[in-house]
Amino acid sequence: MSSQYAAAVDQGLAREASWRHRRMAVRLLVMAGFAIVLWLSASRIHLSLMNIILGVPNMADFFGRMVPPDFSNLMSLAPPTIETVQIAAWGTVIAVVASAPLALLAAHNTSPHPVIYFVTRLFLNLLRSINELIYALLLVSAVGLGPFPGVLAIALHATGMLAKFVAEEIEHVNRGPVEALQAAGAGRMQIILFGIMPQVLPAVVGYILYRFDVSIRSATVLGLVGAGGLGFALITSMKMFKYHETATCILVIILLIWAADAISSHLQKKIL
Amino acid sequence: MNMNVSTTGQVIGVTSAEKPPIVSLVNVSKTYVRGKLVALTDVSFDVGHGEFVVILGPSGAGKSTMLRCINRLAEPTGGQIFLRGNEITNAPRSLRKARQEIGMVFQQFNLVTRLSVMMNVLSGRLSYRSTWRSLFYSFTREDRAIALECLEMVALGHKAFQRADTLSGGEQQRVAIARALAQKPKLILADEPVASLDPKIARQVLDYLKDVSQRLGISVICNLHQIDFAREYAERVIGLSQGKLIFDGPPGALTDDILNQIYGSRMESAVE
Repeated sequence: MSSQYAAAVDQGLAREASWRHRRMAVRLLVMAGFAIVLWLSASRIHLSLMNIILGVPNMADFFGRMVPPDFSNLMSLAPPTIETVQIAAWGTVIAVVASAPLALLAAHNTSPHPVIYFVTRLFLNLLRSINELIYALLLVSAVGLGPFPGVLAIALHATGMLAKFVAEEIEHVNRGPVEALQAAGAGRMQIILFGIMPQVLPAVVGYILYRFDVSIRSATVLGLVGAGGLGFALITSMKMFKYHETATCILVIILLIWAADAISSHLQKKIL
Repeated sequence: MNMNVSTTGQVIGVTSAEKPPIVSLVNVSKTYVRGKLVALTDVSFDVGHGEFVVILGPSGAGKSTMLRCINRLAEPTGGQIFLRGNEITNAPRSLRKARQEIGMVFQQFNLVTRLSVMMNVLSGRLSYRSTWRSLFYSFTREDRAIALECLEMVALGHKAFQRADTLSGGEQQRVAIARALAQKPKLILADEPVASLDPKIARQVLDYLKDVSQRLGISVICNLHQIDFAREYAERVIGLSQGKLIFDGPPGALTDDILNQIYGSRMESAVE
């Protein structure tokens, strides 16, 4: 290329090459740094391939006690399964009802006062950070064993997650229609109902379905600390050394979660 | 003869019909950033009943700002604005009532795209309905009749139950006009209503706007940057340049000299 720009092009290419090399060097350094940190922590947490290999006979033994799964009282697992689904359903429903006002308070454009906004966000972060299992442990000691603490545990955590999600969606709505309703003399609540809610509804419904799916998974685990459902059946069978029944529980849990996943993603696709 | 006097002693609106003008601006100014950015300087004019006024000026001249000051989507930093003789500049309580009487049409249409055309037009009736009723998205029979009538006025009655985002740009703007009409306003503010539309559709929309203004006796203040449209549709043109009102008269009096003053070096942007 023998144009008037040849010199400038060559200069530019040289500069670009040096930038590229510099970026590459930085990336390699950072990755090396990460690798060193991971290597150092591996021994701290006792990562050991040797232990896995040594433990294979134990795993085989355990597995042997579970196989073949005992299908004789499969029907007796029906009530716990239904209970698990009910725990998830009620936990999600309570979360939806509680999140609605909280989300409005936690969004810049709908919160009545910055202090309220700040406090609500803080509260929601608190709800989100505590895992359902911890809630369940605390609640079981408060209200006793059974599905009720499970429902509350799921509701508390899901409220935090759902409210934050909806608040983010509210903050990202197109302001044009909102302004048009303001200009038409609509009141605050009317603007929220007609201008904001229709815009966030599809994403929010999709997220609720997703949350329901997650709640079913959580509900199965919560039973391990006494909060009802399939998890409770599982831990009970283990404590009584009836490992064949444990295996059946695990299979039913897998089936339940698989079904919930399928239905949830199917519905989510239909919404969007 | 009826003379209304503003607080600065300036006479606003001398009418022999014993009716104050629909809207009066008296020395309206708007600055941003503590006075460093000047958007409007001492703008004063009256608009009478049923008048079709076009505000002409290049982008950045302050046309939008001025329009938004009238229904207080923006707050003037100086001067006063009177709606039918009543000052609205510093009156928070009567804001909703004032906005009820002022319809607005936006450049980006600002419809709620996921709602039906009918719902969008009905939302123009929200200022007449209580919050409680709106919670159920409910309107009166009268509201529905008015909404359908307004849709017929812009020839879109047959699309009443389609989703708003299934309509073309020109149709959406006509729905926006219908929404403004549903408020039964005395004044319609149109902020660059046809800037996003091609010339043929733009003329259609302006035809509808002019038509309803004449038929229903609604005053219209329409921001335009296209000189041709101003000449075709305006009964009266107000020229704005860099926040100052520099022309107020019939479109016939728009000489090249005056247009140069308004547009300066940006004439090309005004001729389509």
